[in-house]
Amino acid sequence: MSSTSGSATTPPASSDTIVRSKGKSRTGLYAVIAVVVVIVIVLAAGYAAGWFKSSGSTKSSTGTCTGPTPAVLSGAGSTLVAPLMDQWSASYTASTVGYSAVGSGSGINDITSKTVDFGASDAPLNPAQRAAIPSPGVVTIPESIGAAVPIYNLPGISGHLKFTGQILAEIYLGDMTNWNNSALQAINPGVSLPVASIVVVHRSDGSGTTFAWSSFLSASNSTWKTTLGHSTTINWPVGVGAKGNSGVTETVQSTVDAIGYVDINYALTNGVAFGAVQNPAGNYIVANLTNIASAVKDSNVVFPSPTGDWYNVTVENAPGAEDYPISTLTYLFVYKDLGAAYGSSFSLGTAENLVNFLLWIVGPTGQSYSAPLYYVPLASAAVTYDTNTINSITYNGAAIPTCVPS
Amino acid sequence: MTRGNPFPPRSLRPIHRAPKWGDRIFFGLTLLGALGLASVIIAMVVSLVHGALPAFYQINFDSFLFGHIWNPDGCLPPPIGFGPCSYGALPFIVGTLVTSAIALLIAIPLALGAAIFLTQHAPLWMREPVAQIIQLLAAVPSVVYGFWALIVLVPIMATDVNPVLAQNLGWTGLFGGPHNTGLDVLTASLVLSIMTIPTITAISRDAMEAVPRSQKEAAISLGATPWEVTRRAVVPYSRSGIIAGIVLGLGRALGETMAVTMTIGNRDAIPTSLFSQGQTIASLFANEFTEAISPLEIPALIEMALLLLGICLAINIGARLVLARLQLGGRTTTE
Repeated sequence: MSSTSGSATTPPASSDTIVRSKGKSRTGLYAVIAVVVVIVIVLAAGYAAGWFKSSGSTKSSTGTCTGPTPAVLSGAGSTLVAPLMDQWSASYTASTVGYSAVGSGSGINDITSKTVDFGASDAPLNPAQRAAIPSPGVVTIPESIGAAVPIYNLPGISGHLKFTGQILAEIYLGDMTNWNNSALQAINPGVSLPVASIVVVHRSDGSGTTFAWSSFLSASNSTWKTTLGHSTTINWPVGVGAKGNSGVTETVQSTVDAIGYVDINYALTNGVAFGAVQNPAGNYIVANLTNIASAVKDSNVVFPSPTGDWYNVTVENAPGAEDYPISTLTYLFVYKDLGAAYGSSFSLGTAENLVNFLLWIVGPTGQSYSAPLYYVPLASAAVTYDTNTINSITYNGAAIPTCVPS
Repeated sequence: MTRGNPFPPRSLRPIHRAPKWGDRIFFGLTLLGALGLASVIIAMVVSLVHGALPAFYQINFDSFLFGHIWNPDGCLPPPIGFGPCSYGALPFIVGTLVTSAIALLIAIPLALGAAIFLTQHAPLWMREPVAQIIQLLAAVPSVVYGFWALIVLVPIMATDVNPVLAQNLGWTGLFGGPHNTGLDVLTASLVLSIMTIPTITAISRDAMEAVPRSQKEAAISLGATPWEVTRRAVVPYSRSGIIAGIVLGLGRALGETMAVTMTIGNRDAIPTSLFSQGQTIASLFANEFTEAISPLEIPALIEMALLLLGICLAINIGARLVLARLQLGGRTTTE
């Protein structure tokens, strides 16, 4: 065998090298351990010396009044408002604001369990969620506006296809299955609709956009209203689910004959074709920031009390001739009495910081960041309402002094 | 050691002194690592059980495990919820098992073929580079797979592959129903198979490389053809490595979240054909965890996570049993 000739010469040499390399690697190991230990000691010492303390303590407030000592504020929730919230926290210098875009449902859970200072959601609290909020309860602050638009992938069709709420409801109920149907053709004369079955795409996760969309379909179609209702999640009778506004956009873009719905800023930033929707005045409206803002203004919505039930508040189907019909408010939730809610660990200074930040985002500076990011700024009536709500927040029963930086 | 060595290496010198302090620290660190990891797993199970307790108490376990309908919103009053209040996990258990099984069906022949080629037949210059490229697949993040599938694979499936399958294999009943979306169980399984191939290939290849030359040479000297060498010498010797690779691949397929969520169509129902939309336990988690609005939804989801953990454990234990069997069987046949 070939192995016998090898064994006479090679094994001693090879065992020698193995042993030697073991010795070498052991010294190496000691070196690595020593380095790790040194790094750990240095980091620990640095931590004790305050190297990693938040930089917020070095910031100074920039108002005409003297604000409280800056604090670190935390919020969590909606992914829809996350880009705007990030812009706000980056531009606001009087406090450090950390926002986690964990989803509206989680945001509501976090404010319920008091692990954050404010929660953000695309939909108002539902009755079960409201019942779960501990004493002293939260105030609801509408802080921005989202709008849903129907997007589709129909190669060869240019311009904005026209839809009515009734047609969209029938498509999403599975009653209207082909693009080439008489109802859709009747309101789109001259457009050659393909003879193809409609691929319905909806959200697979809970979403404020779904809340707006299903509210609109509920108002347009009685079958929808009595069997599916409006919520952040719907028990979809047909269609494929995609996660997030981006998932729906990508799925529609890659699937011919698909229809979906996304928030207006996704349709605009991705350049995907979206339809015009008929409003109560009978006009077909191509959504833009102006006609969404005017719709919210014209809806003449009467806001309930800040601590009241907001679940059926709607700004959809406004009466104005040019108003876009499918929009929804997005909300912040903050405890009505911060001292009573969080106890002594939440100082009056932190409360002042929180209230100042909230006043700033609903104020002129905060709202000026909306439009460039394709969000709709609040109408002045809503700003007034929000300001009063925020000023009504107390600390152990006493009013909180405010000082809003510009 | 007949020649004797006048200068034995340091570590071969007899040691008659107490262990160095460095050894003690090293021992402590390794002990800490081992105990730490074990306690992390125990803590995980404990916290999962704790999180799922409300679901254990308030949802009948039979109706959870065998329920066909997942509708947590139904537990809330209209206009939020409609329909029955039901937490049925069966659609997701079926979805998870079916996608993983199909993925393995596709992946195992391809991965083993690649491993055999790379260790037995490929020219030497080709072996390392190709193996490295296949291993690179394992390093691609799953969201990239999902995105690629959505942009490239889904349209191909919808327009080219699915119609052909429906026409030629429709009679099997596996390829029924509308297939114009490409977002279905079949596409998700295909993506999963691509994700599991590198794991299975890499581990089986290592196992096959470890087959001693003498084994193969013995087979060749008995006049075995290359196929017979592979079949009778290489595969039996590397069996445990191959099975370990398959189990690891299966683990990845069972728990894969992003790529599945992006391709399976996310429908909370038991798939009726490979063209149906479906949902796995992991994709349900990704879709619903952050936006759970009914009170028992989170505990029910955590209970489902426990279920997935249980499935993975069962498969691991099963694989070990099979391995033990095989090793026992192997001994009786070869010796």
